[in-house]
Amino acid sequence: MFWRNYDYKLTLGVFFLLSLLVLALLSFFSPYDPVKWLQVQRDLPPSWPHILGTNSKGQDVFWEATFAIRNSLIIALIAASVSRIIALVVGFVAGHKGGTVDRMAMSLTDGILVLPLIMMLVLVASIMKGKLELWGLGILLAFFGWPWDARTIRAQVLSLRERDFTKTSILSGKGTLAIVFGEYFPHITPLLFSTVLNNMTWSISSEITLAVLGLNRLEVPTLGTMLYWAIRRQALLLGYWWWVFTPVALTIILLIGLYFVSIGLCESGNLTLSRK
Amino acid sequence: MRIGRLFVILLVGMVLGCWCAAAFAQPREQTLIHDMLGSVVGTPDDFNTWAGWRWPHRGLHQYCLEPLWIAEPATGEILPLLAKEWPPSYNKDFTKMTIRLQEGIAWNDGVPFTADDIVFTVELHKNTPELLMHGPIAEYVKEIRKLDDYTVEIELSKPNSRFHAYLLDRWGALRPMPKHVFEKIEDPVKFSFNPPIGTGPYKLHSYDPSGYWTTWVKREDWDKSATGKLYGEPKPVYITARDFASEEARILALMTGELDMAFLSVEGMKAAMKAPHVRTWRREWPWNCNIDPFVPGIVFNNLKQPYSIKEVRWALALAINIEEFMSVAVDFMAPVSPIHLPPVPAYEKAYFGPMLEWLRDFELDLGNGEKFKPFDTEVPFKLAEAAKKRGYPVPDAPEAIRSIFGVGWWKYAPDIAEKLLKKHGFYKDEFGRWRLPDGTLWTIQLLSTSDPGTFEHRTMLGAADQWRKFGIGVETWTPVGFITLNLLGEFDVSTTWTALEPWGAGVDLYRTLWPFHSSQVRPIGEYVANAPGGAARWSDPRMDDIIGRMEAVDISDEETTVTLGLEALKILVEEMPTVPIYGGIAFLAWSETYWTNYPGAENLYPNPWHWWPNFKLALPFLKPAKE
Amino acid sequence: MMKFLKEYLVPRLIQYFFVVFLGLTLVFFVPRLLPQDPIREIVGQFQQHGAGLDAKTVETMVATFRELFGLSGSWHEQYWSFWKRIIRFDFGPSFFRFPTPVSELLLRFLPWTLWIMLTSTFLAWLLGNIIGGIAGYFPGRRWSRLLDVFSVAVRPIPYYTFGLILLIFFAYTWRLFPLGGGVSVGRSITFSVASLIDILRHSFLPMLTLLVLNGVGWYHQMKLLVQNVKGEDFVRYAKAGGVKPWWVISQYVLRNAMLPQVTGLALAIGQSYSAAIIVEIVFSYPGVGTLLYEAIARADYNLIMGIAAVSILTVSTLVLIVDLIYPLLDPRVRYR
Repeated sequence: MFWRNYDYKLTLGVFFLLSLLVLALLSFFSPYDPVKWLQVQRDLPPSWPHILGTNSKGQDVFWEATFAIRNSLIIALIAASVSRIIALVVGFVAGHKGGTVDRMAMSLTDGILVLPLIMMLVLVASIMKGKLELWGLGILLAFFGWPWDARTIRAQVLSLRERDFTKTSILSGKGTLAIVFGEYFPHITPLLFSTVLNNMTWSISSEITLAVLGLNRLEVPTLGTMLYWAIRRQALLLGYWWWVFTPVALTIILLIGLYFVSIGLCESGNLTLSRK
Repeated sequence: MRIGRLFVILLVGMVLGCWCAAAFAQPREQTLIHDMLGSVVGTPDDFNTWAGWRWPHRGLHQYCLEPLWIAEPATGEILPLLAKEWPPSYNKDFTKMTIRLQEGIAWNDGVPFTADDIVFTVELHKNTPELLMHGPIAEYVKEIRKLDDYTVEIELSKPNSRFHAYLLDRWGALRPMPKHVFEKIEDPVKFSFNPPIGTGPYKLHSYDPSGYWTTWVKREDWDKSATGKLYGEPKPVYITARDFASEEARILALMTGELDMAFLSVEGMKAAMKAPHVRTWRREWPWNCNIDPFVPGIVFNNLKQPYSIKEVRWALALAINIEEFMSVAVDFMAPVSPIHLPPVPAYEKAYFGPMLEWLRDFELDLGNGEKFKPFDTEVPFKLAEAAKKRGYPVPDAPEAIRSIFGVGWWKYAPDIAEKLLKKHGFYKDEFGRWRLPDGTLWTIQLLSTSDPGTFEHRTMLGAADQWRKFGIGVETWTPVGFITLNLLGEFDVSTTWTALEPWGAGVDLYRTLWPFHSSQVRPIGEYVANAPGGAARWSDPRMDDIIGRMEAVDISDEETTVTLGLEALKILVEEMPTVPIYGGIAFLAWSETYWTNYPGAENLYPNPWHWWPNFKLALPFLKPAKE
Repeated sequence: MMKFLKEYLVPRLIQYFFVVFLGLTLVFFVPRLLPQDPIREIVGQFQQHGAGLDAKTVETMVATFRELFGLSGSWHEQYWSFWKRIIRFDFGPSFFRFPTPVSELLLRFLPWTLWIMLTSTFLAWLLGNIIGGIAGYFPGRRWSRLLDVFSVAVRPIPYYTFGLILLIFFAYTWRLFPLGGGVSVGRSITFSVASLIDILRHSFLPMLTLLVLNGVGWYHQMKLLVQNVKGEDFVRYAKAGGVKPWWVISQYVLRNAMLPQVTGLALAIGQSYSAAIIVEIVFSYPGVGTLLYEAIARADYNLIMGIAAVSILTVSTLVLIVDLIYPLLDPRVRYR
């Protein structure tokens, strides 16, 4: 029953992610500039040397995909790291201090969780239309992507606080920072890692949604803009399946990879991801 | 297992139940269904097209309203509809114009159409500043008089040999209002004009309150409409104008026969053609309809450095490899145009012939006595070759190639472009990047629309690609305020139409030229009147002179009109304030499941675009496929 | 009962008003924090229709716009007038559909979105949980593993792509359903069976898209939950006592595992709403999503702001309703 075997999932997930990382790194050796058009013959089905075919823009789909993966990962990583800082601060403060601070912090996070976030993203992106660079998009996503994980971290801190070793440290008069880094951090790390992965999933999906609405910089290849061009140039109806299939398949592999690694990490770290 | 079975049964039941219902309320074989250009109707219950933008192309100006005259780009003629004849008669000094009206016409509520309606319309516009056409009517009309029931005389406050332009329909004009409806209304601006009362052969049947469709039904007394009286009985009993949110759905609707006529992107057309019953305007390659009178291309902001320098503008034109550009922009399916006019029937003989002679010998001065002939008559053949390589069935006859690909364009001459730029102190650095004379990197901010389906956006993609390959940095910019920025002149280089769209009929170029008059040029930050042409903010004393002379020429004096037009076109080529690239096109796809005898290329009776007011003229000639 | 009011109801209500306040405040401030002047960007809309609007109308519209975004006056004045407008449900006219007021458009389009979104969210929750529960109880069966593979593979597919694939198969290849719209062309909505079937027929594919993609999420969660519950004593006793497996699943396992999922439902509403917006575009469904798509394409900021504000109100109200229903289902909350 391999589906229940989490180690297998972890291995598979890591394998998926590593392959995609290699793909992303390959973009540095690309013979083509992703911004330029008409570099190869258009609309060719997969064949050597265009192993994933070419698109209607005259670009090689394989090499375009390497850039797309790279850029999507960059956006997701920026979003994840920036939002991690917010989530950690809110989670630690709320969990450690407790009381009124905790209650206020939690109603803020619950408040943001309930908002239709897509509306917020659309609101900003439609005003910034066409000027949103990769980092800008990353920060925008980070701004709305932290509450769920702040909750998770807070719950974990709360349970850690009740444990004996923490109580001892608190009683022995250690400073807050020392407790945070000395006592909480090591126990939080696997969980933190798993929230990073979940957050990346969310960022990648959100980027695709914004791209489908045409709100990204469309000349910068990402998984979203790649899909956007394929859909808008009717690749599906014209039978250029390789052009649509590539971003969709890569998205699926990427998100499954992230999902498997995140469950795998939780299980191996013996932490259950508390979803509420 | 019982629960699972229950679900399956429930699902199957639902599918079957849903499947049985019919998709249309009207008998499908008597209904013509076409899509809407642009988007869903924003004001579904308001038809007062005189007071604001009311989505006239939802059928309102095709089927319900009729103008006095209509420009017909398909034949290059101007046709009278509610007026009895074309052209109207002016007195000698162009201060009085007389219009004779068609007799026996009635509004769709039965009230006869007479001179009173025209008098009422003009007077209401003269006195109501909120109405759209108030400006020109108030400026030129001194008085309007009814001579008899079918004749009116307009006295002008200043001489104007082209006053009829405001009443002549080219996708919009001052069309007659029904006096008996509007005279009872207190506020003609807030009035919603629902149901619309027009003289056209159809009246409003029903509409979607969300604006997705509008259905029109043939009048029982269709023979009392100008269209019916002049051209016969329109064939469809119902006509529906319908919008789809995505192009995918539009293509699929066309392929399943839910839609009869659609205006698609080039890719969309290619996808739709896979259905055997879907035809395109031309039955053979390049399938496109190339008689739409506008010219997409590149617009420089002539008030901004370095685009104020003629040689820079020329260099940027010569840095374009037209084969690659046309491939990106329209997949080779459009005729190139080196002049500021589209190669449509009306202009071919009068302007394209003489200009071609002149272009062959046209020379650019490169300084130090060197000359260069930039015009390349081989361009159509090179394009044909490239299209063939792409796998398209390109014809071999030179005449066919010229009609598909145009007469020629500028040579791809990066070396000459380099010389022109170096003459002004531009230079290339060690990485091959162009720098401005002051040493900063040259980055062109290229403005366009954000919708990648538009011709403007595709021009941007093509031009950006070409200039980057030439070594100039290009930053594409697709803000939502595209039109504003054009009108305000807050851009370096833009991609709107290169000149104001001409009539597409007759030989008069006045409409295209007047935005280039120096009185129309506004400083950056102030609005110009029209984005096409006007956005370039370019003027020339020679052009002012030509426009002035044109204003004093009778419209029927074609010889003088053409001579002046040619002079103006030559100045535009020499100065290159905007770079015209190709003649306007449309990718039309028509399903022959329910209707045939569409106005295709082989059978071009009127203008084939279902969103143009001219489409009413095609209706009597359509044939039902199932009888 | 007083205790329930004080400990459950009052905090929920406070949170509701806080969320609405926070969300609308964000809608107010976000455009202000950006480097671009939105008015600058939209004035072109008036000019685009060239002859479409005279200078006076344009000025009135700009004034409305300035008032709504409060770009005249000090920040707190602007903020105050913004709230006054919200309370009056007045977002000014839509630029794209001038002179139709934004509030009228929302009233026209929102019911369609609510219909597909609420139905599919509830069905996805119900079916996802039930199937997930059963699969969690029998994790080793072949169909259970097949479902696993299916759900893992389907979950990451972007909504737009999945919708488009359904559209092509169901509406084009097999022609079972219409290609788009809310009702048949030329038909108006009446209280009749035919009209109801027509509406169902048109909303089936958008709902199916949402149902599948949202359902697999619930499936995953429920499956994990049930695998935990299964080990608990009461289930083991029931099994040992010879109770039939279907009885165990429906009476013991699902009931206990589904209750906490109700709170999850509240949190998922925001997401379902976002998803519905995207899916509507694929099917030209006359809901808020299509309206938003248009508004974005034409930079109709009044409309975008109106949609954002109303979306926040709608979603938070729905969440509140679910939260208030919860104690009716779970006696532990009521008598705590």
